[in-house]
Parts: sequence; structure tokens; C-alpha cells
Amino acid sequence: MSDEHRVSTDFELARSQDDVAQAPLEGGVPPSPSMTFASRVSGVSGILAPVLTTILAFLVGGLVIALTGKNPIKVYHAIWLGTGLNWFFEVGSYSARIPFTTAHMWFPWNTSSIAAQNLQQTLLLTTPIILTGLAVAFPFRCGLFNIGGQGQYLVGTIFAVWVGSSFVDLNPFLHVMLVLVVATFAGALYAGIAGILKATVGAHEVITTIMLNWIAVWVGAYLFGQGGPLQGSQPSIPISNDIADGAKLPVFWGLKLLQGLSIGIFIAIAMLVVYWIVINRTSLGYEVRAVGFNPEAARYSGISVARNYFLAMAIAGAFAGLGGALDITGWKYNIGESDIHASTIGFIGLAAALLGRNTALGVGLASLLFAALFNGTSGRQLDPSIFPPDLAGNLTTIIQGLVILFVGLNLGGLWLWLKRRRTAS
Amino acid sequence: MAEAPLLELRGITKRFPGVLANDKVNFDLRSGEVHALLGENGAGKSTLMNILYGLYTPDEGQILLRGEPIELGSTKAAIEHGIGMVHQHFMLIPVMTVAENIVLATEPRHAGVLLDYDAARKRVRELSERYGLLVEPDARVDRITVGQQQRVEILKALFRGAEILILDEPTAVLTPQEAKELFEILRSLKSQGKSIIFISHKLNEVLEIADRVTTLRRGVVVDTIPASGATEEGLARMMVGREVLLRVDKEPAKPTDPLLVVEHLHVLDDRGLEAVRDLSLTVRGGEILGIAGVDANGQSELIDAVAGLRPVKSGRIAVDGRDVTHERAKVTLDAGLGHIPEDRHRRGLVLPFSLSENLALHAYRKPPMSIRGFLNLRAMLARARRLLKEFDVRGGTPATPAAALSGGNQQKVVLAREIDGDPKVLIAAQPTRGLDVGAIEFVHRRLIEQRDAGRAILLVSLELEEILSLSDRILVIYEGRIVGEFPPTATEEELGFAMTGGRRDEVAA
Amino acid sequence: MTAVSARFSDVRLSAPRTVGIVGIVLGCLAFWAALPPLAARTEALPIAVGILAIAAGIWAWSRDERRVGGGAIAAGFLGIVLGVVAMQSSVTNLDQVVVWSALGAATLRYATPLTYAAIGGLYCERAGVINVALEGMLLTGAYFGIFGAIESHPWAGKWAWVIGILCAAAAGMAMATIHAIWAIHFKVDQIISGTAINFLAVGITGYLFINRYGDTGTPGNVPDYGIPDVHLAFLQNWYFIGPIFGQLNLMIWLSFLLLIGTYIFVFRTPYGLRLRSVGEHPRAADTVGISVYKIRYIAVIASGAIAALGGAYLSLGFVHSFNENMTAGTGFIGLAALVFGKWRPFPTYAAALLFGFSSALADRLPIAYGNQWGTLFQALPYLLTLVAVAGVIGRSIGPAAAGRPYVKQ
Repeated sequence: MSDEHRVSTDFELARSQDDVAQAPLEGGVPPSPSMTFASRVSGVSGILAPVLTTILAFLVGGLVIALTGKNPIKVYHAIWLGTGLNWFFEVGSYSARIPFTTAHMWFPWNTSSIAAQNLQQTLLLTTPIILTGLAVAFPFRCGLFNIGGQGQYLVGTIFAVWVGSSFVDLNPFLHVMLVLVVATFAGALYAGIAGILKATVGAHEVITTIMLNWIAVWVGAYLFGQGGPLQGSQPSIPISNDIADGAKLPVFWGLKLLQGLSIGIFIAIAMLVVYWIVINRTSLGYEVRAVGFNPEAARYSGISVARNYFLAMAIAGAFAGLGGALDITGWKYNIGESDIHASTIGFIGLAAALLGRNTALGVGLASLLFAALFNGTSGRQLDPSIFPPDLAGNLTTIIQGLVILFVGLNLGGLWLWLKRRRTAS
Repeated sequence: MAEAPLLELRGITKRFPGVLANDKVNFDLRSGEVHALLGENGAGKSTLMNILYGLYTPDEGQILLRGEPIELGSTKAAIEHGIGMVHQHFMLIPVMTVAENIVLATEPRHAGVLLDYDAARKRVRELSERYGLLVEPDARVDRITVGQQQRVEILKALFRGAEILILDEPTAVLTPQEAKELFEILRSLKSQGKSIIFISHKLNEVLEIADRVTTLRRGVVVDTIPASGATEEGLARMMVGREVLLRVDKEPAKPTDPLLVVEHLHVLDDRGLEAVRDLSLTVRGGEILGIAGVDANGQSELIDAVAGLRPVKSGRIAVDGRDVTHERAKVTLDAGLGHIPEDRHRRGLVLPFSLSENLALHAYRKPPMSIRGFLNLRAMLARARRLLKEFDVRGGTPATPAAALSGGNQQKVVLAREIDGDPKVLIAAQPTRGLDVGAIEFVHRRLIEQRDAGRAILLVSLELEEILSLSDRILVIYEGRIVGEFPPTATEEELGFAMTGGRRDEVAA
Repeated sequence: MTAVSARFSDVRLSAPRTVGIVGIVLGCLAFWAALPPLAARTEALPIAVGILAIAAGIWAWSRDERRVGGGAIAAGFLGIVLGVVAMQSSVTNLDQVVVWSALGAATLRYATPLTYAAIGGLYCERAGVINVALEGMLLTGAYFGIFGAIESHPWAGKWAWVIGILCAAAAGMAMATIHAIWAIHFKVDQIISGTAINFLAVGITGYLFINRYGDTGTPGNVPDYGIPDVHLAFLQNWYFIGPIFGQLNLMIWLSFLLLIGTYIFVFRTPYGLRLRSVGEHPRAADTVGISVYKIRYIAVIASGAIAALGGAYLSLGFVHSFNENMTAGTGFIGLAALVFGKWRPFPTYAAALLFGFSSALADRLPIAYGNQWGTLFQALPYLLTLVAVAGVIGRSIGPAAAGRPYVKQ
């Protein structure tokens, strides 16, 4: 017997220092470093952490405002008014129109006040954030970090615009369904690229999804830019045509021409429910959670880790793609080169998922929070004399960053504390 | 000839949560001797040496070097006192060269700023020639053999001026040929005045190289004797000891058809080396086949291969007549295999999952646990309640996360799940590791029960009492091969002897 | 002989390897032949040369030189496709776009911020801390660089750029310190803390920018005291080299020094050895007495300083102004270059040059072909990196311990 052994490059020369299961997976796929962390970020164990995180982030944001010479209380109040959430507190006796009819009925809130319009905008924004949030939450449950929500969302919008502008004579119901289905599928395929790469060669999903994000941005900018194949009929303006009227979602609150609230919000909320059901009540969700918590034990039980990685990413892409479609069919109706560059919905969704600890309810509430913040600080809603909207927009970004920073901290700090307790005894 | 010892450890005690790793251990090392430290897994050898190398601080006790008490608060301090350690899992950086690894942190400099590679190479060559440890300074560590890597580890210690060398299970990763070369090196080092502590559980090697042997059992020193005049049987007895045997009352076995057949199996380990060499065994329904052996002799790879978790290089595996040699885990499990994995935390349970969810780890796929992809929580709950009662699992309800249970109860959950799957073949790997007496008894009773129900049980354990108490037949595995078959009436010395290579000359093929 | 081969042990030249490298060169030739100044017009030429390249690649692959062989095959295909595509266009258009001297200079200019970002990332990741915050650090440097220069201009005159650079480095280090504390001390997931830094950088720089320079933007006189160009009079009239190297910004020359310095530091000094050991196997480094935490802190903070310098070049030396989120993904291209270059300085620079070239080309394509092709070309760096990571051109494996927080026992 030959005594000359060749040592393979995967030879583990010393035990892993992690005390959580991070053994090699099928096909020599190296574990994603975020997996340990991901398994700890999910779950409803306490509403305390997200609340504390939010408060802390807003406090630091207030500090930033104060440091630049403005009054944080006044600023936050102005933002609050801009979000439209104050609408819930303005109870009275009004007459509201029942959606999709001409009948009126008594309603405790004024459905056409300024606050109402602000709220419509907030909810319009909540819709895609919920979906991009789910696009992060779902793979997180499987131990994957999907930063590609932005790119998957964009792919959804691209296909939504394309399908929405074609087939002009199709029955409206079918047309809308077609747009949504195609965009969802496109998003799933796009994310599936990263999923396949992770499942087969073990390519780190953070890097692949970041690259895919930017590819989507530039391909989208090309498509709708000047001279691009999907550019609209006005040659000097890099915007696509509007989608056909039949492809637009019905608006149930407010006026379509004034960006009223479409039924997209209900679809988004329905997706939250779907997410909850899939994760908690299906065998797929069971597998995903098992892989996310302990891929080794999952493997020993015959669960295919690679297959779940792929599915988790594909489903994530589906969510994000649907979000893109809902935006297009709900209020945008078209897309331009500058929209593509300016869009950050995917990253807001990331913050929402982290803050909401990857649970359905959490993502829903966090999405509402961020949508409100985004809306309240936008040019339309915020009184410039109190706080310039440009500043406010950046403030929102700072608060988002702080939330992400502190979300990580809470758990890291807690873990460290627990560890110290264990070794000290 | 009594000389003052070079190194003395007096009354060393070290506690970890839940275990007393070292209990008033006295140990001394004479200058220029090879002193072997013997004991089973968990006996406390590694802890003691980690204390000596500065990785742990003892709770009680003293360390004296040349008669003077010293403080070893860090590895740096240990290195400064001339203590060097060659770990069992090498502390080498794979992508760097031999020379780079050896000089790391004490690098020779050129003009104060640049690394003087030539000087490093020269010094490594000098050292290597002086001690007979031939290495190629510019070779990348992940491209040399394990034996050479070990030489690099030794040179690392010598480079830093080690006078005392601790080698932790050095032959665990070596072939017999490489082990022989290592012993030559150790003899050479000895003749140059180095003192060596040699941790091992391989009796034949200990007798070959050591001057004195100290045996540890469960954190306590059993005895320190000179190697000349000692026998492998004597050492085995000291190492393994007489324990209160938990013999289970059982009827004689009534074996039926072979339900697990393994033929001429070859399996590679993670490094690409053969871990299972031409292994064949058969387990019949209604019998327990125990596989005894020291850790890392191929048992894990054997189990992984049978369970479909590791690819098989050549050979055949059949479960209940069905060939599952190259099938994935899922298919093998469906074919009628149950598997109680050896590490319940890493492989057996998903700790954040509830008991109900953990119990469903195999069954979740099929009705009644899931219907068309949707989980039937009520059925899972009912099943969980039934199983928790049947297996007397304490400490939680079906909704409790598995992490909240004690080790014994966790193992009961694993057992319950596997047994309820109604397997034809049940693999039990270290089923009572880390459990208290009551839990051990429970597990043993259950295994006998399942045997009597007609299942074929393959038991792999490092605990000889367990093997002897449960098995109807016993095979001993050593370096990937079956080196002997014994009846349950065999003595521990006989088994221990075979487990440490004593019978290898008598192996036919 | 062994000494030489050992030192360059990864670049052994064997026959299949040489053939593979020749294949890659042939693939590039297939494309290049269709461009000015050769501007060949027969489609058979790139196809023939490309096929030779593919053949060489297949031969190398079969001799176990997978990476080089795969690269040759890929280069061959690309060469054929691009060559044929180039031939669909008129020679005049090609002449307008492919002005090699302009392209060369532009390549260097675009590649420089990438280089600073990537090299900054190199130190950080070699120590075992993943850094996706290069974008944020770049942006931070861009703002604070120009801020420092503008504010100090009244008293520093035309040396204001020095203050600017120092300011940028300081700001970059501050940002990096947050990342360091979160990743090393709190042991938070490094990708999350990196992403947070990116958000914070966009928000903070945007906020401060609007607050200070709001409606009017940065002053127009910045070019007077921005980072100066280095005029090499003797080179000016050299054919081809002159326009490229004769008038490069100081930071570009410094980037060359940075590259060489980094190579020497990381691979030729003891400190570099320890840095790498911490990133590969921190436990092993710990057991020989190296302070893992200390080295990681230093590496992360240094990476912030270096990346910020790249940002300062962008605002003070290239564009001479600041706009919100002006880096627009450059940091990620830098990260891509680092991955593509397998965390080694010179291959990373080659990748940065490649990406810089594609940006330079994207800049010039609109001259003859219209805006949209330039836009599409911008996606190329990311696509290339995706392919690299996917393993077609060799799996990019970083330092072994990158991403795992180190827990000292």
C-alpha cells in the first residue's frame, strides 16, 4: 500500500472555533459565514429588541438633526404629519365613498383629507417594501443573506413594463394577472442564478447577488435609456411608455390620476400571510427552517441542503419581482432610466426584514415604519421651512443605516454576554 | 539514579462546568526522557497538557520547572519557558510555506523591515538537519504529507527553543510507516537532550517509545510506571479499569435474516485517505452487532457511508435486501434505516426546533404528518405526545424547544424518532455519550427491546462496558479494518488489546 | 532554481500552462485585430484566431490546467464575438471610439479609485474581516476630502488638497472604526455591519453636503487647489505613451506606489506574514503569540483610510466636485476587482484596469454609437466578476478565516 498521501486543499488542519454546527455541506460547499448569525436573527423571541433598536436609531437621528442646528422635535413632528399616520387619530364623522361604487356611507375618518392622501402614499410605498422585505426574510430563514432584492425588484419592474405595454387588447383581469405572474417568475429566475451558484459551486450569495444587482441596474438603464429597445415613444426622454390601461391595478382609495391607493397593498399583505403559511405550515418551510438552523442535522435526516438553498433564493426573487410588478401596475405605470438609478426599495426592504426579525408580522410593521419615514421626509409631504426635504431624505438613509447597525448589535451583544456567563461559571 | 525532575506538576485540579477534568494530578518529567501519558477519551490528558502549554489556568496546583514554581498564563509564557506543543490538529497555515509557518512571529529580518527569506530558509535547514527532521522549506503546507506536516509542527516548537516537547496523539494521523519515522525522530531528539511528553492511547506504541508511562482515568492518575516490564494487557487494565457494569438483563438473541449487509467496503475520509479498508459485516434481524474501537479508526466514516451521507469508493451496502450503496441519505432512510447519530447537538437535533418538530425530522414528508405539502400540525402534536409519553421524555411539552432539555432527554427524543420510524436496521453511534446513569440504562433497555422486536442493530461505541453489555456479537475495528470478532463473553483486556492494534498481526486479510 | 520556482511557486511555467496563456493572448488578439489601428475587415480573421485560442484552451484543460485553459476558451469565444461585432460597425465609427491613447489615459483614471478601494479591502480581508463597506468608505473620503480642501483653502491656498486628503483619511478611519468595533468586538455579522456603513455613508455625506453646500453645490474653483496632475515634460511627445502617462494625476502615481508597497508589505515583511496568518488561521496565529484582535483592528482601520483616499481622488482629483452618492457603485466594482484578483495586489490591479477600460470604453461608445451601448457596457465588470466567482475562471477563494469572528479562549 502506498504511503504517499496527497492532502487535499480542503483538509481541515484544526477544529473550527465556532461552537455552532458549521460542518461542511454536500459537495464540499463551504458554509456561508452569515449562517450562524442568520439562525439567531429570526424568530419572534421578543418584540423588545426591534422596539429598542428603532428608538435608539431615532434618538441618534435626532442627535444628527440637533447637531446641524435644527429642532429635532419639530422636525420629527413635521415628518409625522407627512406620513399620514396621524390620519388614524383624527376621528370624526364623515361620509365616505364605498370603493368601486358610487354609494356613500358613514365613516369615522375623513377619506379625502390631506392626511388621508399622505396615508395613501405611505401605504403605496409599504407595498413593495413588504415584498422586498420578504425577499430578504425568506432566505434568511434558510441561512442565506440575500442582498439582491434590489436587482430582483428591478427585474420584476422591467418585465412588468414590457408585458404591460404589450398585449394591449387583452382582457384587463387577464392582463394584470399575466403581468404579475411573468414578473414574479422573472424575479425568481434572476435570484435563482445566485441560488444555483450557491447550491452547486458554493459561490457566496452576498457577492453574487451584489453583482446581479448592478447588472440589473445597468441593463435596465440600457433598456429604458435613450436609444434603448424599451424606450418610450418620446426619443429625447429616457422613459418607457405607460403600460396599457388594462394592465393597471384598480385603485380603491383616492383618485387614480392622483396616485391613489391600489389594491396592491392587499396583495402585499396577502403575501405576508403566504410567507407565514409557507414557513410555518408547509413541509417546504419546515425544510427551510431546519437547514437554516442546523444544516448538518438536516442533512442527516435526508433533507437536501442544496435544493433548499436554490428554492429559498428563487422564492425570494419571486417576492421581489412581484413587488416590482405591483409598483408598476399600482401607480408608477412606467419606468425611466433615472428611476432605475435612484431606486433603493430593495435596501429599504433589507432594513425592514432585519428590523422585523424575519417574521411576517415584524416585516409588515417594519415595512410600514420605513415607508412612513420615507414618505414623511419626501419633497411632497415635508414643509421645507421646517426641514429641507433633501436633508430629510438623507436623514432617512441615516436612520436606516443606524437600524441595521443596531439590529446587528443587539444580538451580537447579547450573544457575547451569554458567552461570558458560560465561561465564567 | 534518582535525579530531580525537570518539570513537575503538583496537585493540578481543573474544573469545567459539569465535569472535573483533572483531579489533584501529580506528574513529573525527567530531563531527557520520553514520558507517555495514557488514557481514554475524556480521561483528562488534553486538559492537563493544555494547562502546561498555557491555554488553561489550573484551579489548584503548582507547576515547577527545574525546581522553581512558574506561572503559565499564556502560550507565550509557556514558549518562553521552553515548552513546545505539537497539537493533534495541527496549527499550521495551509497556504503558507513550511519556512513561513516555522518562523511566524519570530521572523528573521533583513534591514529591520523586510522578511529575510534566505535566512529563514537557512535556519530551517540547519534545524532540520540537526534533528533529522527533513522538510522542504519552500513547500506549501497543504501540499505535503501529513507526516511532513507533523515534522513542521515539531520544528516550529524547536525553532522557539523548546526543551520540553508535548506531542498530543501524534500517531493518530500517521500511517504505520510514518509512525516509525516519528519514533526515530523522537529518539534522536532524546539523545540531544530534549524531554518529551507523549500523549496516546495506542498501547503498543507507548511501550515502544516511552521510558515511563502515566495512566489517567477520569481525571485521576492511576499510576506511573516504567515502560520496561510493562505489558499491553497491564496498561489496558489501568486505562480501562473496573467499573460498575450496567449489564442489562436480556434473553439470548434470536437472529433471523440478514438485514444489513456490507461487503468489501472502501470509504475515503475528508482528506481523501482511506478510512474504511475492505470492511465486510452482516447484521441480522434480532441481534445487536457491536463495533468496538478507539475513536478515529474509521467508525464514523463507516456509519456515514452506510447512512448514505458519504460517498463509497467501492464495495456494497444492502439494507433489507435493497442495494443502497450509492444512494443519498433520504433514499437509504426510506429503505428502512434508522440512525441515531453520534453528536445529538450537531447531527441529531435541530435545537431551536420544538420537540414536536424534531420528532418529525424524517416523517414530516409523508402523510399523516404532511398532506400535499402542508404540515398536519395536529397529527404531529398527537404523535409527539404519544412518543414523549412512551419514551418517558421529561423536561418539556411538544412545544418546548429541544435546547431546553437535558442531554438524556434529548437523546430520548432522538431515539423515539428513529424507533418510531419502524426501521429494519438501526444504527446507534455513541448512543449514551454524555448521559447520566439513568439515561444510559434507559437507552440500553430500549435497544434490547428493539432487538427483540426483530430489528438489526449496529452499535458503535467507545465505551467497552456498553459494547460488552449490549452486543450479541462484537467486531473490533482498527485503522479501518475489522481485526477480530468476539463473543460478548470476551474480557475487556482482550478487546482493548485488539482495539489498540495488538491483534493486527493475526489478521488474515 | 528551486528558490526561484518556490518564490513564484504559483506561477510555474509548464508547457500546458504556457499554451493556455498563449490561448488567452490569442483570444484578446482576435478582438484587437478588428479594432484600429489594424481594423481588419475580414470576419474570417477573428474567427480563425479565436478558434486557435479555443483549441489552445482545450489542450491546456485536458492537461489539467483547468483555470488557464478555461480562461483561454472564454477569451477565444469572447474574441470571436466581439471581433465580429466590431466588424459590423464602420471603420470611421471605430476610429472615433477606439482612440487608444485617450482610452489608455481614461482607463488609468477610472481604475484609480477602484485600486484604492480594492487595496483597502485587501488589507481588511487578508486579516479575516469581510469588507462590503468599501463603497461607503470611498464615498466618505470623497466628501470629506473635498470638504477639507474647500474649508482650508482660505489659509492653505493651493496646498488645500493636502488638508483635504488628510481629512478624507481621517473620516475613512472613523467609519472603519465602527465596522471594526462591530465586527471584532461585538462579533456582529460582518456583512450586516458593512451594509450599515454603506447606508450611513450615503446618508451622512448627503446630509452634510446639502447642509453645507445645499443649493449651490461645491464651489467651482476647486480645480485650482485640487490634487495636482504630474506633468512629465519629457514624455509629452512620445508616441502613444505620451498622452497616457504624460499628465496623470498625482494620486494615480501614488496608486502605483501603493501597489508596490502593498505587495512588499504583505508578502515580504514579517508584519504582512502575521497579517495573512490572522486571516487564514487565527487560532494558529494566536498559539504563537500573535494578537489577533490588534492586527484585525489595525487592518480594518487602515482599509478605511486607503479606500477614503480613493474617494478623495475622485472628488478632488478627477471630477473636482461632489454630488450626492457620486461613487454610485464604484466601491462594489473595487470589491469585484479584489475578488477577481484573488486578493493579491497585482492581479487585483489588472482586474481594476480591465474594469477601468470597460468604463473608459463605455464613456467613448456614445460618441459613435449612441448612449445606450455605453450604458450596457457598464454592466460588464459585474458580469465578469459573477463569472469569476461562479468558478468558470477559477473559484475565487479568499482568506480561509474571512467572515468568522475570532473568539479568544
